[in-house]
Parts: sequence; structure tokens; C-alpha cells
Amino acid sequence: MMDQMTPAQRAAAIANGQDADRLPCNPNVANGTARIYGCKISEFNTNPKALAQAQIAAYRRFGYDSLRIFTDLFPWAEAMGAKVNFPEDNTADLDKPAITDVSMIDRLEPADPYKDGRLPIQVEAMKYLVDEVGGEIGCSVGVVGPFTNAFFLIGVENTMRLILKDPESIHKLCKVSLETSKAYAAAAIDAGLTPAISEPMSSCTVVSPRVFRKYSLPYLKELVDFIKSKGKGTVIHVCGQTNKIWEDLADMGIAGLSIDNVASISECKKMVGHKTKIMGNVDPGGVMYTGTPLEVRLKTLECIRDGYDNPKGFMVMSGCSLPVETPLENIQAMMDTVREVGYPVELSKVEELMEDCKKKMQ
Amino acid sequence: MADKESLLKELSRCVLEMEDEEVIPVAQEYADNGFDAAEGIMQGLVPGMNQAADLYEQEEYFIPELMVCSAAMYNGLDVLKPLIPKENTASKGKAVIGVVEGDTHDIGKNLVKVMMEAAGYEMIDLGKDVPVEEFVEKVRAEQADFVCMSTLMTTSMNNMQRVIESLKEQGLREQVKIMVGGGPISQNFADKIGADGYSVTAVEAVKLADRLSGV
Repeated sequence: MMDQMTPAQRAAAIANGQDADRLPCNPNVANGTARIYGCKISEFNTNPKALAQAQIAAYRRFGYDSLRIFTDLFPWAEAMGAKVNFPEDNTADLDKPAITDVSMIDRLEPADPYKDGRLPIQVEAMKYLVDEVGGEIGCSVGVVGPFTNAFFLIGVENTMRLILKDPESIHKLCKVSLETSKAYAAAAIDAGLTPAISEPMSSCTVVSPRVFRKYSLPYLKELVDFIKSKGKGTVIHVCGQTNKIWEDLADMGIAGLSIDNVASISECKKMVGHKTKIMGNVDPGGVMYTGTPLEVRLKTLECIRDGYDNPKGFMVMSGCSLPVETPLENIQAMMDTVREVGYPVELSKVEELMEDCKKKMQ
Repeated sequence: MADKESLLKELSRCVLEMEDEEVIPVAQEYADNGFDAAEGIMQGLVPGMNQAADLYEQEEYFIPELMVCSAAMYNGLDVLKPLIPKENTASKGKAVIGVVEGDTHDIGKNLVKVMMEAAGYEMIDLGKDVPVEEFVEKVRAEQADFVCMSTLMTTSMNNMQRVIESLKEQGLREQVKIMVGGGPISQNFADKIGADGYSVTAVEAVKLADRLSGV
């Protein structure tokens, strides 16, 4: 089935209450784009053109609704002094934090997106992206929130301890991280893209809502306000369970809330659906990576059933970035399912298609 | 000066309330008084860790709290464990635990280890980035009852299956219960690779182990 509209036309039509061809859908392909484009993932660290072209190649193949420059969680901490492992053909991982002890915190400086680490490569890639497809699809740039970045500055285990033992140090780490996030977000906006915030460490699977409100939320809010002051809306993704902080997130006035597969779309809709768009949440590991196309289809339909009537809108998405080796046929199955359901969504049709799936699975 | 009961209570409190430094002198005082070290562990440190696990299940405690409780428990163990004669350690079973090859994220694995230790299992920790053969060799050498594998990386998930295959080839599969966990792991995946069980959290891992061994 072919799309009748570009992602930008579709988004505008739905926002204005007009007819559209289908719901927007973002399988969230991440570094798997390298497989589709035909380069090694490590090229994304040095070659801005490859980074942009890979995103475009994957978009052209599947026709999904959102593009994002985002390679891994660590470019900002790296630009502030952390060491990162770069496997030749896999996603980068933190090797050593920027500092090992709280006595070194005052040495940390905010990163310059035009100078430090891989950030200039990414800023360059943003420009290629917007030049080539800027008019037809929303182009975003991933950035981690200040609280999450703090973990990578002084080490994950260290941070867990400091949260309980040394609040002042956590605030300092978040503050300097916020400056980096803001500078990077400004660079993205200047290039004509929209920042999208990932805050995995704020998850209720990791820290308590109390800790989130004390250490993460104030800085996150400042980042969101900063982005809004530049005329852009921003979506936030938090991995794992997030139900206890949905109100906090939605009350910041964000453009969308992307939730992971362990969170419930219908519960989220009830709680904050009148305040923000919901995006989610097909299981990226258990279904997209290890499941069959039929399982993908069933889960995609479930998400649509639960989310399509969200007052502030709904986008079908994976719960988190897809594993690199996610079968392409599963990504295709997600897109095909959304196309088949069409727009406006008819609940009876979705339920019928679900019954079909279940029969075939028996 | 202090009596045994109040020192045991103090050991529990130190673990539960994340006093990972204060626990050391308390354990030392307990030992200096000549009180039974095994009791200090089983009736002091361990109940503290178990209460922390309860608070985690009630969503009062989260990962940072559990990590510091676990640091407190280990700091206490470092003082008391050397004082226990080897043959006096009763155990619910012996488990080989590790993060599979290709992955170095071990926070989850360490939490499973401490929870299972607190529950009375003997844990043999292979650490992180553990090759397939090492799991298999340890199972053979230690006559283990459990293999606990974890990974946060989808790229390493298949190494869990390789461990299971290798255990089969070596005729060791039947003697162990295999438990898997970690971010990208699901019940679905556990079933597919032929593991005996999957648990979402470290606290649930203990219940799973108890269930699998019929305790």
C-alpha cells in the first residue's frame, strides 16, 4: 500500500482536523539505518554525510514519519571529557566517565557543539538532513537530558550513590550538563531542526519519582522552556516504566510523550492524554527484534486500539530505539499495519484485524 | 558493652538505611564481642537486605537505594564472613552468575547476586563479559544448581542461547536451572532459547529461583 501524503502533509492535516491517509508512525530505527544505507555504524562518528544519508535512506525505504540525528547516549558527556568505546559496526558505549571523583566537578565545562567531540559532526549532519528532506518530513535531533548526562560524567554507579549521599554534587553535575544540552539544542534549532529529549535515567524503573522531581525535573524543565522560547515544541522519551511521572512531564507543556513498552498507552491516555500527544509503544526487543511480522502486526494494532483516540493525538512508535539487527520485515510489518488501518481509525476494523492475527497465530 | 540483640538490629538498620560506611564499625564491634558471625549475617545483615527488597517491591526504594543497601551488606559481609568456618555455611543451592560475553553492564547482575545471597543461595560470580565456555566450565567444576545470565545489549542476547546449547552438548543441561534477565530480555525470548525462567527484577529473581528449585 502506498502513502498518499508526505509526513509533513500528514502531520499538518491531522493537527488541523482534516482528512489524512493514515496515522503517523515512527518505528525508531536508530543505528540500524547504517544497514539500510550500507555503511558501518562507526562511520556515523566521523562522516556527517553518511549519518544524514543513512537516515534518509531508511526513511525512503519505509516511508515513516520522523527523522532523527541520534547515534547513542554519550556524545555530550564525551564532549565534556568522557571516554567512549566505538565498535566498528555497533552502537557506541561509555568507557570511562569524564571524572572519577566529586572533587573534580568544578573542572567540568559545558561542551561547545561546534568544537567538542563528535558534536560538530552531528551539527554538520543536521544541515545535510534539512537540506535534502526538510520540507517533507519533520527532522529532529536527539539530546539526552541533564540528569541522564550527569550519570555519564561521573559514572553510573557513582551517581546512584551521590543521589543518596551528596545532593549538592548531583545538582552541580546537572547544572553543567544543562548548559551543554542548551547549547546543543540551540545549534539544532539554528540548523532548522527540532530537539527531542531522551531522559532514560529519569525512569521509575531506575530512580524514584521523588529523586526525579528533585534532581531531574528542574533542569529538564529549563531545557524544555529554552527550546520553547526558540519557537519549537519538543517531545520527551523516557525508557522503562514512567506512569508516576507522566503528570510532571506533560505539565511542562511538551509536544509529545514517548513511552516504553512496559508502560500502558491506555493508562497514559487517561492521565495526560488531554495535555500531550502520546507516542508508543511496540516492544523493541521482545517483539520488533525477536518477534515475527505477525506478532509485530498484532502489537501495532493493540497500540492503535489503545491510543488512536487520544485527545492530543497519537503516533505509533516503538517503545524505544530499535536494536541494530531488527529484521527489516518487522519494520515493514509495522508500517504496513498502520497503512492498512488508515485514517480516521475505525475501532471495529482494528479489532477485526486483531482477531485475524490471533487466529493466524494459533 | 552493647548486647548482641541490639547489634544485630543495628546491622539490619545499617543495611536498610543505606549506611554503607557506618556498617563497618558496627560489624567490627559485633565481631570483637565474639558473637557468632554466621548469626550476624543471617539475623543482622540479611534481614536488612530483605527489608530493602520489600521496600523496592512497594516502590519505596529504587535502584540507587538498592545499590547502596547492597554496598552496606557487602561491607558488613567483608568483616563477618572471614570469621565463619567454611563447613558451617548452609545454602539453598549453588548458582553461577554472570553477564554474557559482549556486555559489561553489570548493575542488574550485581543486584540479582546480592538478593540471592541474602536469600540463602551460594553465588559464584563470573563477573561481566563472560565467555560461553567459562559458564560451562564453572557449572561442571562447581556442580552448580543454577546458571543466572544477564545482558543489557541486544547484541549479546544470543550468547545466552550459546551457553544453553553448550551445556546441552556437554550433558550438563539437566543438572541446572537456567535463569535469564536484563533490559532487552523477555519471557518470550527466555522460552525461545529454552531457559527455565525469566524475571523482570532482582527481587523476583529470588522468587523464581525458589520456585524452580521447589523451595
